[in-house]
Amino acid sequence: MEIKYTIQGLLVYMTIAAYLLAFVTTILRRQKVGHIIYLIGFAIAVCSFGYRWYHVRHVPLQNLFEVFLCLGMIYPVSLFCRRALRVGGYAADMLIGAIVLFPAGFVFNAQPQQLPPALQCWLFTPHVAVYMFSYIFMAKATFQAICQLAGRNPKPGENLLGPEESTYRIICIGFPLLTLGLILGSYWGKLAWGDYWGWDPKELWSLVSWLVFLGYFHFRYMFGKKHSRINSLWAIAGMAAIIITLLWVNLSRLFPGLHSYAT
Amino acid sequence: MWLALVLIIVLTVLSIYGAFIGAERAQQFFNQPTLAVYWTALAVLLIAGIAAFRRLLRVPGLLLMHAGCVLILVGGMWGSQGGHNIQKKLFGIDKIRSGRMAIYENSSENHVALDGIREQKELPFSLKLNDFRIEYYQPVYLQIETADGNVQQVIAEVGRQIDLGAEHGKAEIVRMFENFKMSIQDGKTTAYEDPSPGLNPALAVRITPPSGEATTHHVFSLHPGFGHTQGGPKMIYDRPAYRAISDYISELEVIDREGNIVAKKDIEVNHPLHYGGYHFYQSSYDDKAGQYTVLQVVSDTGLYVVYAGYWMLCLGVIWHLWLRHIFSRFKAKNT
Repeated sequence: MEIKYTIQGLLVYMTIAAYLLAFVTTILRRQKVGHIIYLIGFAIAVCSFGYRWYHVRHVPLQNLFEVFLCLGMIYPVSLFCRRALRVGGYAADMLIGAIVLFPAGFVFNAQPQQLPPALQCWLFTPHVAVYMFSYIFMAKATFQAICQLAGRNPKPGENLLGPEESTYRIICIGFPLLTLGLILGSYWGKLAWGDYWGWDPKELWSLVSWLVFLGYFHFRYMFGKKHSRINSLWAIAGMAAIIITLLWVNLSRLFPGLHSYAT
Repeated sequence: MWLALVLIIVLTVLSIYGAFIGAERAQQFFNQPTLAVYWTALAVLLIAGIAAFRRLLRVPGLLLMHAGCVLILVGGMWGSQGGHNIQKKLFGIDKIRSGRMAIYENSSENHVALDGIREQKELPFSLKLNDFRIEYYQPVYLQIETADGNVQQVIAEVGRQIDLGAEHGKAEIVRMFENFKMSIQDGKTTAYEDPSPGLNPALAVRITPPSGEATTHHVFSLHPGFGHTQGGPKMIYDRPAYRAISDYISELEVIDREGNIVAKKDIEVNHPLHYGGYHFYQSSYDDKAGQYTVLQVVSDTGLYVVYAGYWMLCLGVIWHLWLRHIFSRFKAKNT
């Protein structure tokens, strides 16, 4: 664990502080103030990402530090979920934002790196970006699945969907992104390494994530809301696979592979 | 549906197992005959599902997704080593699935060392390597100062010329060394690139004064000032100790059996050459002397079927989970 005494570090810490403050304010029923602080936190997160972009002179999605910096810009996803999907968990999003920025602020190395030849491809940004979006959606879906298991429903009058329906709706948004990320990665693998599928641990774990959500759709189609707790467990299992894909594969020596530059 | 769910769970478990055994063993594992039975069963079940469940035929998104998965499986199996073996037996198509070829600069080659077995095969055409080079993020510079105090700095690359003025003539970089060494034989010294581990970056600079008698000087990055001659220009080779590689480039020509050049391409990482049913990738190089490049050769059999499957899967998922809902909302709003 290290503290970053840099402008970049300062921006990350300010975002974490704003998100935590927004969370506390919201659960103390000062929703409007919480929303404004959340918005300020998002603005700082964008500045932080932009600063990094300017500093490294390429889209900052190369390593775990940069990827978590990107994940910290969660606000548009929460807004979209609330306005377009009628899904709650607004306060939880603030906490998710702070949690994903924590490793960027205290764990991962922020040393700027130049892009190795394999990453100099037009597919670099879309492949990583769609994955990041899908991961944020799936994290939100997991929160709803946990709420469903815990029996927490939105209060009457909030005009929000129940947690089971919310989980399904968010997964419906995240799954096409997950599919697109997998396919763009495969296409890029063909261009860079000669094979669209190299059986690399990261590739296999990303396939596992996709398959778990595919299983979720099939199971839900078969039983509907009859076994809603099992539906939620599928969603949580999918998120577990995503965490392994994103973190464990890159940080553990158990899975050496072609994606090791992402550490 | 239960069978579909079971096959999804089986593939999930197999993928987790594959992730723990490493890419090379996983590739062998997923390509073994037992797994070929699984892949075939999966493809057959998908086709049977499309035929049996009317909903899959009626709902375009679901049809695209399932048919896309069938194409990915069929294309993948057709392009695998097993698929190539079947094509050879049934249709007499003898194509290399994957292999590697090393080509020296200014020479052509058509032999491919096959992956996984100690065997070589010939391509029906040759590849000629005109040049192999590595590009770096950080440029290196040659700084040159003439006796009258005129200082110039240029990017150091072979062929770069510097005009030193009417009094001093011109300078030209004629060679770059990563690990400079010098041998002496019969009193004659020869500079050469030492392929053994070590670092002694140097430039060979030819200075041609107006009188016409050209002399070659060596400039060393690690030993600035070494080799300066009385009254001659002072030269500094400005090169950082570590330089990040930005690209590997092989300049290739494809030559047919009659000796005609039929294609040209500078291949780089992410920019392979596609010719005659094969893709050629920059794979490795001579890291000691930079005299040859190593290309990976991969057959394109089944590739476009897989890509068609990708398109269908993507369109199907996006249509089914996003677009049809958006369109139906628009319709509901307008009515």
